[in-house]
Amino acid sequence: MGALLVATLLLGFLLLRGMKSITPALFFGETPWLEAITGQTPVFEGIWPALVGTIFLVLLSSIIAIPVGIASGIYLTEYASRRQRAFLGLMVDFLSGTPSIVMGLFGFAMILLLRRTLAPKAQTSLFLAAFCIAMLILPYLIRTTEAAIEGIPRHLRLLGPGIGFSKWQNIRHVLLPIASRGIFSGIILAIGRASEDTAVILLTGVVAHAGIPRNLWDKFEVLPFRIYYLAAEHRNSSELEQGFGTALVLLFITGLLFLMAFLLQRRAEKRWKTR
Amino acid sequence: MEDPMTSGKEPTVRLDNLWVRFLEKTVLKDITLSLWPGQLTVLVGPSGSGKSTLLRSINRLNAVPDCRTEGTVRIRLHDRSIDVYPDSFPLSELRRRVGMVFQTPAVLPFSIEKNLAMPLRVTLGLTGVALSERVEWALREVSLWSEVKDRLGEPAPTLSGGQQQRLCLARVLALEPQVLLLDEPTASLDFRAAASIEALLSRLKKRYTILAVSHSLSQTRRIADRVCVLKEGQLVQEMAGHHLEDADAFQQLMDAAF
Repeated sequence: MGALLVATLLLGFLLLRGMKSITPALFFGETPWLEAITGQTPVFEGIWPALVGTIFLVLLSSIIAIPVGIASGIYLTEYASRRQRAFLGLMVDFLSGTPSIVMGLFGFAMILLLRRTLAPKAQTSLFLAAFCIAMLILPYLIRTTEAAIEGIPRHLRLLGPGIGFSKWQNIRHVLLPIASRGIFSGIILAIGRASEDTAVILLTGVVAHAGIPRNLWDKFEVLPFRIYYLAAEHRNSSELEQGFGTALVLLFITGLLFLMAFLLQRRAEKRWKTR
Repeated sequence: MEDPMTSGKEPTVRLDNLWVRFLEKTVLKDITLSLWPGQLTVLVGPSGSGKSTLLRSINRLNAVPDCRTEGTVRIRLHDRSIDVYPDSFPLSELRRRVGMVFQTPAVLPFSIEKNLAMPLRVTLGLTGVALSERVEWALREVSLWSEVKDRLGEPAPTLSGGQQQRLCLARVLALEPQVLLLDEPTASLDFRAAASIEALLSRLKKRYTILAVSHSLSQTRRIADRVCVLKEGQLVQEMAGHHLEDADAFQQLMDAAF
């Protein structure tokens, strides 16, 4: 009930302050929208590059973190010995307790190390930021996968072994489908966390007015940074209003990513329930 | 009925001097027991007496790092005889040949058909017509076909408790086992559903070797050809034939055993 109230207040406030600045100009500035979308003309004033950057960053960090996170959760529940589990569990807790600015510093330090050793030309980039964000969201995925598998009742856990399934067959055909909803909630949490973080990207490649990244090794912009930048550096009230509008867009984009993950999960669930 | 113990038939399962320990706790002590085809043996005993452990030692479901098993468990599969311990026989085939049904119906949140078809596809690689024929055969075997044939695509958890347990039994039978291990298969069911499972077991025992655990003495008397009483990990009594027919005598023997 409290959560609903807070969410309504927050959304109401953002709508009130940001709705009127949601115009084509907010997205594309002076650039014609078709030319902006097709990449023919760069956008300097609008949030379009930051929007594209956010989607790239979330997708890339999800692609890195989701398989590793789910695999780690499976390893911890199904394969690790009691001692390994205690030790690795502590490491996961340690990782989840790491402040995001420290994760950003880790990425930055990694680039400094690479520049001095293997790759003198290495620089902060979209890939580095996505990698560090992936480290940040990994604990959510590991813990929710673990909890979802552990929550399966004992009689269903024993079913696979009881009919001759190997350990992997049991995981693949029994445990994962049953745990899928729990795992999916971890994915949602991870996407939310990946799309809102600012501290990590500040040190790993975000640049104001960087434009749309041309490749994984390019600088980039994202919406949370744009919001931060507009809030901290606005020169007039209309720029501040743009900040609120951008926050609304970020909320919408995150919602869209949630919806995409939800539809994918439902489709997969429907398939494995019947086929 | 012909008594398999005295008719010269070979037992399907033979346990000799079986000891099972979990860490420092001894759960089964020196168990020697034979199970014959065509006979339904019921294992009774107080909670914690090792009934489920005994069942699971036959299909090696106790195989966890903390469990130590000594003694022999020998199973006759068609024309060959295998030793369950040491674990040289493929676990996957052993568990298909020795099917197990648990107390709570282990129905997967999938369709009725997939609950049966998926294990067949995964373990035996069956597909197409062979798969659907086997599914139908198994459902007929547990008298469930006529009840579900028009709604095979519906979620299995929508079935009643008794139907779910019969579906679990069908899933095991579809894998063509020779031995059935039933761990209190009617404990979570109402009277009517339990009665239908009992009737089914009486029919199935002619073709399978069945070892069941039961907490209900009246049920035990109704379905068992032979009763084994387990107490504190030891086999303290075996009853068969006329002992089971006389209700009072059976009750007295059970009172003494418990």
